[in-house]
Amino acid sequence: MAAPMKSVACLIRGTCFLQNAILHDTRFMPRACTHLQITRGRRRTCRPPSWFVRTRTKSHHLNQQELTAENKGFLTEYVEDFYTKKFEETSPLKDGPWERHEWHSHTFRTGVLAVKIGVIPQWDNQGRKFHTTLLQVLDNHVIRYVPPPVFEQSPAFKSHWRNRNGPKYGSVVVGALSCDPQLFTKEYNNLFTEAGVPPKRKLTRFIVTPNAAVQPGTPLFATHFKVGDYVDVQAKTIGHGFQGVVKRWGFKGGPASHGTTKWHRRPGSMGGGREKSGVWKGKKMPGHMGMDWRTLRGLKIWRINTKYNVLYVHGPCIPGPNHCYVRIMDTTLFYRKQAMEDQPPYMPTFFPEDTGDSDLPEEIVDEKLFSFKEPSIRYEEEASTTKKAKR
Amino acid sequence: MNFSLFCSALVVPCRFSNTLATKLVERHRKSKLASHTREEAETKDTTVLTAPRDYKFVYPEFLPDPTWWKRDRIREKLEREDMMRRRSVIEIPEFYVGTVMAVESSDKYAPGKKNRFVGICIQRGGHGLRAGFTLRNVIDGQGVEVQYDLYNPTIIRLEVLKLEKRLDDELLYLRDAPQEYSTVPFDMEPVVLPPGIAVPINTMKVKLGPRPWHERWERQELKGVEDLGLPERFYKRAAEVAKPWQKHDLMRDYRLAINEDETEEIMTDVYGKMQGIETQQKLRRRQGPGPAK
Repeated sequence: MAAPMKSVACLIRGTCFLQNAILHDTRFMPRACTHLQITRGRRRTCRPPSWFVRTRTKSHHLNQQELTAENKGFLTEYVEDFYTKKFEETSPLKDGPWERHEWHSHTFRTGVLAVKIGVIPQWDNQGRKFHTTLLQVLDNHVIRYVPPPVFEQSPAFKSHWRNRNGPKYGSVVVGALSCDPQLFTKEYNNLFTEAGVPPKRKLTRFIVTPNAAVQPGTPLFATHFKVGDYVDVQAKTIGHGFQGVVKRWGFKGGPASHGTTKWHRRPGSMGGGREKSGVWKGKKMPGHMGMDWRTLRGLKIWRINTKYNVLYVHGPCIPGPNHCYVRIMDTTLFYRKQAMEDQPPYMPTFFPEDTGDSDLPEEIVDEKLFSFKEPSIRYEEEASTTKKAKR
Repeated sequence: MNFSLFCSALVVPCRFSNTLATKLVERHRKSKLASHTREEAETKDTTVLTAPRDYKFVYPEFLPDPTWWKRDRIREKLEREDMMRRRSVIEIPEFYVGTVMAVESSDKYAPGKKNRFVGICIQRGGHGLRAGFTLRNVIDGQGVEVQYDLYNPTIIRLEVLKLEKRLDDELLYLRDAPQEYSTVPFDMEPVVLPPGIAVPINTMKVKLGPRPWHERWERQELKGVEDLGLPERFYKRAAEVAKPWQKHDLMRDYRLAINEDETEEIMTDVYGKMQGIETQQKLRRRQGPGPAK
């Protein structure tokens, strides 16, 4: 009796697992960004979340070894054919885009998933030098929109996202970098059937208000943002592994010489006696350093290259090394968001039809940024003499 | 698609495990599955002339930073386009370390909102838009050095007064030499070289002043310096810490430089664009200096 019961339980669990996989959102980001419990320090776990779907097939490269070069070529050709045709025939976009709404200051739009490609200096109109980070928006598509009532059921939903009228936010899953489906498991590939796009290498989720709902299958461009907008940028920092206190927290360590034995990089005393009684919680200690989510808020977009979908974002210190994934979204800073009312963004995202008949220029440059086509900067003399006269 | 390569590209150290391998990014940029961001394959014009071999010495800043983890094809391309745009607006002449130059730049705090500095170029470096150089001169008995960014938009005019090379890559030892070696008059007339001549090399040897110095010059293999006249122990120590094997280290050369194929590719691109810019500049020169200058 026990054996059939067990198998039934397995079956049920299996189906739940699949349902979770398809209904709820996928792996990676939610774990780190939206499902993060507020605890002291950082939450580090190896346990996959409930909606986890195995991405990579275990036997992929073994299967590949059995194929001849001819067959491999045929398969890749077939995949390309299949997805280009499928996108034309069965894409949800065929039914026409969803209704577009107005932007207001409480709107959360979706973001994009970019790849960091480097840092270069730029100058502003006044000749001041600063650094900009180049972020390339590569092959982004909306994979799924989850409306608020459904998203509320997700374990990733936070209670303070509810108000009197019910849940405020839905979610949009965005994927970047289309891949060959042979790399992935069936379960993972199934996540993309709704959007009618090839499976993506990376998925991420953004919280959106219902008026910013985007239809699955919609491509996202760098022009999702406008030049002069302010954005929040999230990425994982460079990993350093397990580190001691000197590198991790900048402790001074001990003296190098004068009879020092085994006391060069140690943390020193840790806790006091009496009322202090022992080591306090949150004491800076050795541990894992880096490879952690960091958010930079309110970075200005100085320039957009529409040909290569590159954003020039202010600052040299966007977390992570080159070619890391970067989440970019509209800023949540209050005054910046209010200022956006003068120049409301594309809702829910940029569509190529938005420009009308004219094509977008290849380079869109902020008016305060020095464009290298212009002549050298000269300061006017009159302004200073009047200043001096006033004094 | 080569799948074994694909798998090997994914093996990265933990420090960079949140990143994509460069190969992988390149593959995605050109992938047929990338619907709307796919790059069109560039049609290579076979009729384009290849750049002369000395081009990489004339325009060294067009070669990108060779640090492998800082490299990206698209970023380098965009950076190069910016540099070209700037070069089409302002004439950035050929110069080397040892060349005497004059730089006219906008300065908020100078009388007339302009500043002109003349000096000998003692250092040149940087890649892409970060490229820069240092000029040194002696003013009122005081050694002065000014660092300029080559692509800084506040630079109004770059003028070469005396085009020449020196025996060393850097002339930082002029700081420890008597002042007459780095003194250049501000009203110096430009020295015009006959056309078609190679850049002359100044083989002058500098006699350094007495110690203490900024650096231990005896430990560097300087060619443009006279015998330093130090006690024997200095040379003994220099020989101890010297790394004579480094010049035979091929892997080190490979790491610290852009390889030849890529250099040629970049320089061909630069050559094609610079020719158009140079003809424009010649036209402008014939028309004479504008009213702003």
